[in-house]
Amino acid sequence: MPQLDTSMWLLTILSMLLTLFVLFQLKISKHSYSPNPKLAHTKTQKQQAPWNTTWTKIYLPLL
Amino acid sequence: MNENLFAPFMIPVMLGIPITTLIIILPSMLFPAPNRLINNRTIAIQQWLTKLTSKQLMNVHSPKGQTWSLMLISLFLFIASTNLLGMLPHSFTPTTQLSMNVGMAIPLWAGTVTTGFRNKTKMSLAHLLPQGTPTFLIPMLVIIETISLFIQPVAWAVRLTANITAGHLLMHLIGETTLALMNINLFSAFITFTILALLTILEFAVALIQAYVFTLLVSLYLHDNT
Repeated sequence: MPQLDTSMWLLTILSMLLTLFVLFQLKISKHSYSPNPKLAHTKTQKQQAPWNTTWTKIYLPLL
Repeated sequence: MNENLFAPFMIPVMLGIPITTLIIILPSMLFPAPNRLINNRTIAIQQWLTKLTSKQLMNVHSPKGQTWSLMLISLFLFIASTNLLGMLPHSFTPTTQLSMNVGMAIPLWAGTVTTGFRNKTKMSLAHLLPQGTPTFLIPMLVIIETISLFIQPVAWAVRLTANITAGHLLMHLIGETTLALMNINLFSAFITFTILALLTILEFAVALIQAYVFTLLVSLYLHDNT
C-alpha cells in the first residue's frame, strides 16, 4: 500500500489543510442565499402616520 | 501483466517534484466565488445545491451546532468534488490517501469532542458508561468506551480510504480483464464490459455517498456534543 509510505504525509496533510480550511471556506462563505422572488402588490399600501392610530392632543382618530 | 496494482495510489511526481498540492487544490477552482449581483448558471446551480444540502444537513442541529454549517458544507463539497474528479481515467484521487483523511478527521473529531466536554461535561462523561452496566464491569467498560471514542476519527478516515481505494482497484481489475478477454472471446468481453459500465455508475454514486457519510458522521458527533 503506497498510502502507508509516510514520506509524503506532511505535504499531503498541509495541502489538505490549506484547501479545506482556507480556500473552500473562503469560497463557500461568499455564497449568498437570497430568498426567492415573490409577487408584490402593485398598489402601495397606505402609510399610517403615527397620529392616525392614536389619539393626540390635536387629533382624534376616526374610530 | 505483472504491474503494480497500487501504482495509481502513489503520489504523482513531476520532474522530481510531488504535485499533490496542485491536485488537492484543483477542486477549489471548480467553485468560483460569486462577486456579482446576478451570477452565471454554474454559480447559481452551485449556490442552490449548497443551500439545499445545508438545509438538509443543518436542520437537526441546535443554533450552536449550526455555526458549523460552513465547515460541514465545505467538507462535503471538498470530498465530493475530489472523489468525482478522481473518477477521470488516469487521474490521482487524493481521498485514497490515508494521511489526508486522517488529517481531515482528527481536527473535526477533536473539535466536536472539545465542544462537548466544554459545554456538556456531564453528558460527555456519561457517554463513557452505558446505562445498566453491572458494577464489576464498570472499570473495563469505561476503558473500552474511551478507546472507542479515540478510535473514531481513524475509523472515519479508514472508511473513506478503503471505499475509494477498493472501488478504483475493482474498476482497474475489471478493465484489465475486459482488455485481456477481447482477444479470446468477444462475447465474454462484452459481458465484462457491461459489468464495468455498471460498476462505473456505482462508483459515481459511491463517490457522493462516501462524501455524505463522512460529513454525516461529523454532523452526528456534533449533534451529540452540542
